[in-house]
Amino acid sequence: MDWFLEPFLLGFQQRALIGGLAAGLMSSIVGVWLVLRGMSFFGDAFVHGVLPGIAAAVIFGFNPYLGAAIAALVMVGGIELIHRQTALKEDTAIGLLFVGMMALGVVIISKSNSYTGSLTSILFGDIFGVNAETLTAMLVLGVPVLVGSLLLYRPLLALSFSATKAKTLGMNPRFTHAALLVLIATAVIASFQAVGTLLVFALLVGPPATAALVTRTIPQMFVISAALAAFTVWLGLVLSYYWGTAGAATIALVAIALFFVTLAVRPLFRQKEATT
Amino acid sequence: MSNDELLVEASDVVLGYERNIAVKASSFTIPHRKVTTIIGPNGSGKSTILNAIAGVIEPLSGEISVFGRKPGGRHSEVAYVMQSLAFPEGTPITVREAIAMGLYPKLGWFGRPSADDRARVQRAMERLRVTDLAHRHLDELSGGQRQRVYVAQGMTQRHEALLLDEPLTGLDILSARTIDEIIHSERDRGHAVVLTTHDLDEARAADWVILMSGHVVAAGPPAEVLTRRNLETAYGLGSLHASDGDFLDDPHIDGDHEHEHSRHQHPH
Repeated sequence: MDWFLEPFLLGFQQRALIGGLAAGLMSSIVGVWLVLRGMSFFGDAFVHGVLPGIAAAVIFGFNPYLGAAIAALVMVGGIELIHRQTALKEDTAIGLLFVGMMALGVVIISKSNSYTGSLTSILFGDIFGVNAETLTAMLVLGVPVLVGSLLLYRPLLALSFSATKAKTLGMNPRFTHAALLVLIATAVIASFQAVGTLLVFALLVGPPATAALVTRTIPQMFVISAALAAFTVWLGLVLSYYWGTAGAATIALVAIALFFVTLAVRPLFRQKEATT
Repeated sequence: MSNDELLVEASDVVLGYERNIAVKASSFTIPHRKVTTIIGPNGSGKSTILNAIAGVIEPLSGEISVFGRKPGGRHSEVAYVMQSLAFPEGTPITVREAIAMGLYPKLGWFGRPSADDRARVQRAMERLRVTDLAHRHLDELSGGQRQRVYVAQGMTQRHEALLLDEPLTGLDILSARTIDEIIHSERDRGHAVVLTTHDLDEARAADWVILMSGHVVAAGPPAEVLTRRNLETAYGLGSLHASDGDFLDDPHIDGDHEHEHSRHQHPH
């Protein structure tokens, strides 16, 4: 039996792989824009910011997707409010909301009986607990994320110069920025049940950042980022099977390790290019 | 001058950003099919006027019209060339793709470029002498090369008027000469060119000048606008030493843009 097939023989292992791939694909594609627009801190805050919504949903028994969506709206609304009413820089606003929402989430969870268990499963996911229902939800939310990330190509490229440039090119920067926030939120909400909010972030930032090291155009970056995400999820699950480690955390670790490996070997290829 | 020969008509227009007023109530016109320079000290509102013409900002009060219409919009026929210092750091974008962005107003989000559109990109690259840089990244270019790329982007955009924000400041000779040629050939084609500058010689060589100092001090032909009296009003008494050269303020301390420029005398 092949060593790389064995970890995926059972149904729950296959669902973990499919769920992980779906999360990896949508996160790594929308993550390209997150990285290019320099919004990684926002992304980090965002994945923590949805915590109170999910926690409230788990404890009060309503749909966790709805809870996460409400928390995301509160988060963006709060950042926008600080931005409009004060002269503080955006990262301060993000930081305030980040810690505030995270704390609120922990406070809500601490009211429950299974404090540690709930917190761990929201933050780190339960990739081997992915069921058909979760996969359907991922598909329903994932397709618009993928399509939206590609359709926004021109407006987001224009916006990467400046809002002024985007406006003079008729690309509506305000709508574009809002649409990107919605796409990031959707990817986080769709993926958290499989890989956890914390580890969605590894897939949002890891593969796109690694792809940025080795590509020269944005379309190339999309392709490499998606391929890296798929490889990351597969390798993460294989390693977690043989090492007996947590699935989602191993995937996240692989995503970040791949970045540093790429960074280390990149000069070798550059030298080769230079000498040929 | 009849109204259809006017690019810009502004009456009592107040311009600014959120609650900060950059240009106090001003009335002026800018002719179509001419080269107009906007000159004034740092922070006098030069770029703000360009932003208003491009429709990037709306007037806080008063009125401004471009070709008789509200400025801005996808079909405004105004191409706005930004400064070479602004570029998306870390975004993998080639020179050719950056120039082709000039097609966006026509193509929108999804339209596919026609053969004609691609030829337009190619022509702009040739005119700005950046064809050999087509596959280079924007962050691999010098300031002068990047400025030529941005002007090529503006040329690719279908336009009747070209707005240039300090297009000749701090450029190498080749870049300055190339862009200077474009400015004049644009006028020869019947287009309007509006540029901001620190250089009195550039202002004198234009067809029309707008002198700024937190408001429009004077607008009209250079000989009427660039009088000693007007310049003293704009720059303050004693600031003008005509024999010292042509810069009226120090471009190194640029309140408008907060970046460094090197001094440059461009060939007029």
